[in-house]
Amino acid sequence: MNRNRFLFVAVVLALLWSLVPIYWFCRMALLTPLEIQQYPWPLFPRAPNVASFWNIFGYDYILSDGTRVPASGQANQIIRGLFDSIVVSCIVTLLTLLAVLPLAYVFARLEFRFKSVLLFAILLSVALPPVSTLIPFYAMYIRIGLSGTLTGLVIVDLTITVPFVAWMLIGYFRNLPPIERLARVDGYGRLAAFVQLVIPLAKSGIAVAAVIAFLFAWNEYTYALVLVNGSTANTLPTAISGFLFQDPQPANLAASVVVTIIPPALVAYFLQRHVGEMNLVDPVR
Amino acid sequence: MASDQALPKAAARPALPVRTRRELTDTQFALAIGMPVFLFLVLVVAYPLGYAIWMSVHKIIFFGGYRTSFVGLANFARVLADANFWWSTWVTLRLTVEAVILTMLLGLGLALMLNRPIVAGGLVRTLVFLPWCVSLYGAGLMFAYLARGQTGLGTSIAYAFGSSLSVDLMTRDMVIEVLAVGAAWTMAPLVAFFLLANLKTIPRRLYDLAALDRLSRFETFWNVTLPPLRYTLFVFTSIITVLSMKLFDFIFVMTGGGPGTSSATLTYQVYKVSFKNLDLGYGAAMSFYLLLLILASTFVLYLVWGRREARY
Repeated sequence: MNRNRFLFVAVVLALLWSLVPIYWFCRMALLTPLEIQQYPWPLFPRAPNVASFWNIFGYDYILSDGTRVPASGQANQIIRGLFDSIVVSCIVTLLTLLAVLPLAYVFARLEFRFKSVLLFAILLSVALPPVSTLIPFYAMYIRIGLSGTLTGLVIVDLTITVPFVAWMLIGYFRNLPPIERLARVDGYGRLAAFVQLVIPLAKSGIAVAAVIAFLFAWNEYTYALVLVNGSTANTLPTAISGFLFQDPQPANLAASVVVTIIPPALVAYFLQRHVGEMNLVDPVR
Repeated sequence: MASDQALPKAAARPALPVRTRRELTDTQFALAIGMPVFLFLVLVVAYPLGYAIWMSVHKIIFFGGYRTSFVGLANFARVLADANFWWSTWVTLRLTVEAVILTMLLGLGLALMLNRPIVAGGLVRTLVFLPWCVSLYGAGLMFAYLARGQTGLGTSIAYAFGSSLSVDLMTRDMVIEVLAVGAAWTMAPLVAFFLLANLKTIPRRLYDLAALDRLSRFETFWNVTLPPLRYTLFVFTSIITVLSMKLFDFIFVMTGGGPGTSSATLTYQVYKVSFKNLDLGYGAAMSFYLLLLILASTFVLYLVWGRREARY
């Protein structure tokens, strides 16, 4: 009883911690233009209106008192960015998993020569700060014609996701019970043991890895800003940053940030079930 | 480990005499799988890295016509004499230590909480994961609005209680802590979910055994729950360290290095030198110090912590 109450308090605190900043922006998106001019902004919107959610997709909205809130000039870029971001993130997620799953497994389970050298190479590519590779990447992309293309963005995203996700999964694979050794005794080949036994067993870790790869790609801003901004291959974060410079509309800005959370939240919702429902009793027994 | 790898090979042959295909050795198998990925990384990362090295030993001038001249290690020497560089190093270290400790503690706490059966668990899990869904760019905006006196949470709450106090957290003394809290807010779910996935790999039977042995709750946590998490904890401490040191979008959007230079981390300083002052050679040299700092911190972490975990 006491223990349950403690858990309940913990859950409430965790939710408050996670949601207050997001609430702050949801609320900002729902404030009327009049309320935005007040000081300080009210904690709760008195007359929540969804005008800015229409505005950012290019529609005018008429408030209940008859005021017309005009569509945002950024709408085209937002729609375009939404589409491009979804395409890029899905491709990056798939490619990352294909590359990383076997890699991380090999590093976690096998002992082989050059292992530490290769691990260091992964670490080096993780450690490279984007600020120092931005200009070189830009120069390279101009030279080989990848700047302003989605392909170019996918490649840059992969250089971030592949080493990171590999690094994360190595620790995870180490923890799995070594059933594939038993399988190998039973005559499974290495690849078969990996595909048929390890992957299903590692479902929860892989699900988390997929979400993480998706989110790295979805939220990448620095490279996108330099490599594809201003071209037709615009992603959502760069599209939103236009609000800061061209159109200082806090409600529209907030609405578009809220919109960017929705697709990854859906991805997270569908993949988290693999984490939650997994009940490993004891596969070795 | 060496004995484990001999085991299946020795056992497999008598069990399956029909098998004629020669088995690859561990090294061959590992290289066959790893090489394509490494070739890709090398191809894509080597050129920018080489280019950055080239920039760092040149003086690059834009104004009055683009020209470059070889200056050897002069840029690197200049960095060491730059007071801004040392200030930024201090800011980076302070931010990183605070962000890493907060993130890891929060991540572990959230993971342990989510591992318990909760009503509407799927929903709670998704909501707790939401901060990681917010881009660092968006999170920077959110925390900027939350912490500023003009639009912030503090002011609104004070106002709701009838006070006209303006609560501004973006001050010289506090801004790094605010950044650290914001960074922990976005990164903790990442840690929590990986730890949770790891917790799920602990066989339930171990807890039954612990209950049989009448271990206390703390002893169970220490002896059953923690050991399989330790390696992941180490890996994620390193990852969060790297991420915090590389943090740029968040700081760029939230504080722009300010007020004054009080939150100018190394990444921000490199950005300022390269993109605002257009001193590309100098910026590249400074970014190598940042790279060195990142590699050195992960290496130190490995020496004092990871090496022991790797043996376990």
